[in-house]
Amino acid sequence: MTTKIDTLVDRYLTDLEAELAGLPANRRREILDEVGEHIVAARAALDAESEAAIRNVLERLGDPADIAAEARDRFGVPAEPAKPTPWLEVIALVLLVIPFLGWVLGVVLVWLSRLWTTRDKLIGTLGGLSWLVAGLGTLSMSARGSTAVGSGPLGPTETSLLEVVVFVVPFLLPIAAAIYLGFRLRAHAGTVPGSQERSGHGGP
Amino acid sequence: MVSAKRESLITQMRRGTLEYCVLALLRDQPRYGFDLVRTLAQSDGLVTSEGTIYPLLSRLRRDGLVTTTWNESPSGPPRRYYELTGAGHQALELFTSEWDRFTSAVDRLLTQGGSP
Repeated sequence: MTTKIDTLVDRYLTDLEAELAGLPANRRREILDEVGEHIVAARAALDAESEAAIRNVLERLGDPADIAAEARDRFGVPAEPAKPTPWLEVIALVLLVIPFLGWVLGVVLVWLSRLWTTRDKLIGTLGGLSWLVAGLGTLSMSARGSTAVGSGPLGPTETSLLEVVVFVVPFLLPIAAAIYLGFRLRAHAGTVPGSQERSGHGGP
Repeated sequence: MVSAKRESLITQMRRGTLEYCVLALLRDQPRYGFDLVRTLAQSDGLVTSEGTIYPLLSRLRRDGLVTTTWNESPSGPPRRYYELTGAGHQALELFTSEWDRFTSAVDRLLTQGGSP
């Protein structure tokens, strides 16, 4: 009987500790200790200790989540499970760095998102447009390469350097744009809901 | 629906006043947590979950309005007693005088609708 009761109390305090996770350690300790002492005093005040009586004590204390919410409120700590994972945005970022079809879908999702501002969306889109440049560059390269091998003023070294620039930069830009959007998303996740959502939400 | 509205109204009113109710309970004597919380819970509508008083007590202590001391208990382990500090007494006095003005103003409007 006693062990069952101790289990109930332990589980309650464990839940409370988990719910208090966002608070400074000393405040968390203090509140946990005080609630623990409350339970000890409440048990001492019972005429006869029974499982039902202990359940009643814990019920009167209330849901650990409510206590933690009150604690965050009193100490000005923002809510702990900050926000649901922005899956739309995460998928958009992954698609953005996949050439061509992936990129096109990624851009569509970027513009559907409500978390980025119009400015962010433009930067993300323009950065990715260089896929197109890369595609054209590759085409013209191969076209030129087939006719100009070993002739003309451009030596092999210059050709490969140009190739590197034409090839690599356009492939890096969309990745840079995706990283930029990712950072903007993180910056957004740190703000209070609603404060930024609406500020730049112009849409396409 | 009505009870949800009622609940949110009470929450609003409790927000700024509960801490002074706690201070008032400690004005004449120190109390230990369980005693304080149970006494408060006997007042209708002031406390829904007893546990939510502890974050408030923690905050009052951080603000220097209450201190805690350990005292022997007649049964069981020593208990943490809450006690008003000088700043706590001052805060309570200020609230009490403002509360009088505030409630009379609101009462007047509620009963007479603002007519003289």
